[in-house]
Amino acid sequence: MSKRLNSSFPTDREVVLGILNNSEDVLNKLYKAYFAMVLQFILNNNGNEDDAKDVYQEGIIILYNKIKAGDFELSSKLKTYIYSVCRRIWLKKLAHNSKKAGNITDYEDVFVVEEDVEEHQEKDLQFVKMQTALDHLGEPCKTIIQDFYIHSLSMQDICEKFGYTNTDNAKTQKYKCLQRLKKIFFQP
Amino acid sequence: MRNDLELDAIIEDYLLGKLSAQEIEAFEKLRLNDAAIDHKVVSHKFFMQFIESYAAQSNLKEKLNHIHNEIDVETLASSLRPHSSKIVQIWRKNKSLIAVAASFIVLSLVSIYSIQHTSQQVDRYLQLGKKVDNIEKSQSNLIRNIKSNNVKVPTKVSPTNFGGTGFAISANGYILTNLHVINKADSIYIQNSKGDSFKVKTVYTDSQNDIAILKISDPNFTSLASLPYTIKSSTTDIGENVYTLGYPKDDAVLGDGYISSKNGFSGDTTQYQISIPVNPGNSGGPLLDNNGNLVGIISGKETKVEGAAFAIKSKYILDAMRAIPQDSLGKKITANKKSMLAGLKRTQQIQKLQNYVFMIKVYHD
Repeated sequence: MSKRLNSSFPTDREVVLGILNNSEDVLNKLYKAYFAMVLQFILNNNGNEDDAKDVYQEGIIILYNKIKAGDFELSSKLKTYIYSVCRRIWLKKLAHNSKKAGNITDYEDVFVVEEDVEEHQEKDLQFVKMQTALDHLGEPCKTIIQDFYIHSLSMQDICEKFGYTNTDNAKTQKYKCLQRLKKIFFQP
Repeated sequence: MRNDLELDAIIEDYLLGKLSAQEIEAFEKLRLNDAAIDHKVVSHKFFMQFIESYAAQSNLKEKLNHIHNEIDVETLASSLRPHSSKIVQIWRKNKSLIAVAASFIVLSLVSIYSIQHTSQQVDRYLQLGKKVDNIEKSQSNLIRNIKSNNVKVPTKVSPTNFGGTGFAISANGYILTNLHVINKADSIYIQNSKGDSFKVKTVYTDSQNDIAILKISDPNFTSLASLPYTIKSSTTDIGENVYTLGYPKDDAVLGDGYISSKNGFSGDTTQYQISIPVNPGNSGGPLLDNNGNLVGIISGKETKVEGAAFAIKSKYILDAMRAIPQDSLGKKITANKKSMLAGLKRTQQIQKLQNYVFMIKVYHD
């Protein structure tokens, strides 16, 4: 398995272009290419597989957003960037859980990515808030909102799914849900 | 409530661009007139954007989760997990520390070794007898042999095993050199600057001061003109310019310098330290000052120290001359009282001097 993973390393250019073109295949390759590296780092620094998954996905998302936003310059190797970001995230987590982070075992070069991580985590905080707001919303509102805004289903589909007599009813229901969501979300 | 919902619907349609041109115009008028509605539009816009990015991220996460499920995390983890063995773990974690410690040990070993080595070097004294001669001669012989392979030429050459320099201390054929030059010799010859060779025999040796006095026993030898230099009985001061003429090669070579210390090797009071470049073959050479006074005999140099050579003080030459059993001499040897070199230019001094400086050739066999 790991052999196959290693053999399919995409080039850095390939990754950047692929992400800009929404290529699922490239994302797939990218994800598999560097997971072992981060897994090794986390496992050897007081973490488990789940930690590795969370940290790695966060790292990939940061990279993805950075490339999408167009301000990613290929000044360094992608691998180094991912490693540095994941390392930073994991160190923060360790510090947050007041676990010992004294002697970090490194496997790659590291450079400064504090800003990128900071920025992402601020945003992420908002997303977490949104998630809890959605969870508070209850059914069927949560599903309607998710289906419409996240899975981009049409009003027609939602209408059928929930058995509304017509789309107007569904729409009204959706607006009600949205209003409640806003209310919960903006609650201090 | 009903109104609010309608408003929301209109705002959303407006933002999505679903309204007709008339409706847009009407709505924008409404927006201009009512700040509350305007505020609602803006906040809705931001909220929608936020939801959009939230949607993007959760979609991405879903994709990543999907990809993640394809990876066999278990096997991967087991191969990357920290090694159960403590020793391997310590090695992995402290690789760099261990490397630093190891290189430090190596470094200190090297420096201890070199310190010991340099302290050994202090005790190295090189006598400047010329041993290389033999090798050179045999090498050139070899070349000659190869070149004239079929011609039966090679006249028998008995190679000089050892060589040095010597100088006359009296006109009647007494030559002074270092004892280490002629030590263990079977036969000794001297050769003057013109190339004439004379057989000599040893008449006096002083192993303590490393002095040997030879006498020319060759019937072809008549006598020298009177010596141009005097032998100085007092010690010479540091800084005095001195020079020597010697035979480190087949022609006489001038070495120029100054007396750099009153005592010789390891504080040896019978010698001067001099700063003259000397080489094997210079041993036994005369050391003269600018006024043509013989102040010493070149005897050796310190290896690994730049520009430190040694010369036996001339006082010991006089001692040696006095110590020769007088009855063994045909004629008494006396030191010259007046230098003929004083006031001459260096080139003229050497021209006169070179007749009294000899190459000593020693055959062991």
